[in-house]
Amino acid sequence: MLGMDLGSRNVKIMEMQDHVITAQLSFDTIAFYRSYGKTGAGNLRIDLSELGLAQNQPLVATGYGKVSVQIEGALHLPEIQAHVKGAVYQTGYQDFTLLDIGGQDTKIVKVRGGRAVDFLTNDRCAASSGRYLENMAGVLGIDLEELSRYSLQPVELNSTCAIFGETEIIGKIVEGYPLAELAAGINYSLYRRFAGMLERLASDLIVVSGGVARNEAIVNIIARESDRQVMCLPEAQFNGALGACIYGYEKFSK
Amino acid sequence: MMNHTIGFTTSIPVEIILAAGRVPVDLNNIFITSGQAAQWVEKAEEAGYPRNSCGWIKGLYTAGLLTQPEAVIAVMHGDCSNTQALMETMQLRGIPIFPFAYPYDRSADMLTLEMEKLMRVFQVSWTQVEDVRRDLLPLRQLCQELDRLSWQENVLTGAENHYYLVCSSDFNGDPQKYARDLEEFIARAQLRRPFQDEVRLAYIGVPPIFTNLYEYVESLQARVVYNEIQRQFSMPFACQDIIDQYLQYTYPYGAFARLEDIQEQIHLRQVDGIIHYTQTFCFRQIEDMVFREKLDLPILTLEGDKPGPLDARSKMRIEAFINMLKF
Repeated sequence: MLGMDLGSRNVKIMEMQDHVITAQLSFDTIAFYRSYGKTGAGNLRIDLSELGLAQNQPLVATGYGKVSVQIEGALHLPEIQAHVKGAVYQTGYQDFTLLDIGGQDTKIVKVRGGRAVDFLTNDRCAASSGRYLENMAGVLGIDLEELSRYSLQPVELNSTCAIFGETEIIGKIVEGYPLAELAAGINYSLYRRFAGMLERLASDLIVVSGGVARNEAIVNIIARESDRQVMCLPEAQFNGALGACIYGYEKFSK
Repeated sequence: MMNHTIGFTTSIPVEIILAAGRVPVDLNNIFITSGQAAQWVEKAEEAGYPRNSCGWIKGLYTAGLLTQPEAVIAVMHGDCSNTQALMETMQLRGIPIFPFAYPYDRSADMLTLEMEKLMRVFQVSWTQVEDVRRDLLPLRQLCQELDRLSWQENVLTGAENHYYLVCSSDFNGDPQKYARDLEEFIARAQLRRPFQDEVRLAYIGVPPIFTNLYEYVESLQARVVYNEIQRQFSMPFACQDIIDQYLQYTYPYGAFARLEDIQEQIHLRQVDGIIHYTQTFCFRQIEDMVFREKLDLPILTLEGDKPGPLDARSKMRIEAFINMLKF
């Protein structure tokens, strides 16, 4: 079973056999489309053997680019449902709020009885996404791993725009704030952008997925500020692809 | 050059314009059906409108300039908080402006005064206006029949319902022709086989700036069976006189006035979920709080900025919402 999550920043592919993960692949979205996208038509013709994967296995696609996957028999699954399926499977829980902070957007889904009952996503700007953290880490000249270490004594960053945020952080650098406080400020500013949505769809348990789940500082901030139990998925980045596999098992076994 | 046309920025007592023998033109409709809506927005931005301001207002500005109506009636209260600046910048370009304000408290006295003011401008009497109102009644009933075909007979697409009702703000400038078009359309639609939708949706909020929203919704086996504001434009209620008609009209009187009507209609039409559309940078985004708290059905808040087809993210959100309702 193949689950393919065609995200805005990365394409994630998960292969499962009898519900056991047998392969996980991640590609930069642009590079992936360049290699596999058929010119003009916007379609993807994927040779699974080129990816080192067995041919002739069922495939479920999710994410922005899912409709461009032109493989015979491929199923398409909306990303919210894919993420919920993945999170329910990974946690074993039925009631929680899923927070997925991806490359270019944030999704917050209220899950009850294992189903999405409500969801919110960030507004039209990418300021509450992993892309924002990447940009800001770049300004500080550190990598995402280092950025994720700091959550205490944050500098105040007010800009609601990812680009103006850069200008603002440069201002703080000039004012002489230490790196730890600048980094904490960046993590806090991301938190504030989704905090309102998280509160509106809150549950006792908050499950975090997406690349930003690896950011320990963000996870600490959510736990501290929301006073709720916070859990990160083991396969945070592959949660959508995993959910696609699970959906595939449900559909193809019928 | 369009002579004897009177432009307006949102629904106004159109009976006054018709009584004066002028041609009513809803600038919103001119803008969005121009085929160049995106360019018109850019034109307004080039003139100095901020990028972070409403796409409709920018389109209206260019529509006013290009159509050069005899005058524009600008609704200063009850529609959009940007209209004042729109009016001022149109004035700057030499377009005669008449302000009109719906009273926030829905006071009959204040509305009477506002209408009298407008009638003085166009030199028409209450009797003349009432005559026009009565002449339009069969046409307004046709609009109601069209709407009924949408939700009760299930034979209209969301876009068809939207189009005919949104045009009822100015009857495309020609009530007789609009009535004939509507009659022909209704006759054809009655012969159709009903849609078998999996999901029935309500659309609340101002008309969408997206060009393919209804089609996209229908590609997912869902259908909009209620267009809140567009329906209000057609004034679908029995009323005693012109004042009563424009007091019953909910749109200018705030979220709570609209709420009553929405609650009644979503119950009647048995919808599964609600799309609340708001324009980027609009104060109505704040009113989303009211609808989310007071309406018991799942709500998707959809935001649109520039005219054109749905973007990938909005599509993703609509798809996820409809899927959520299916299960």
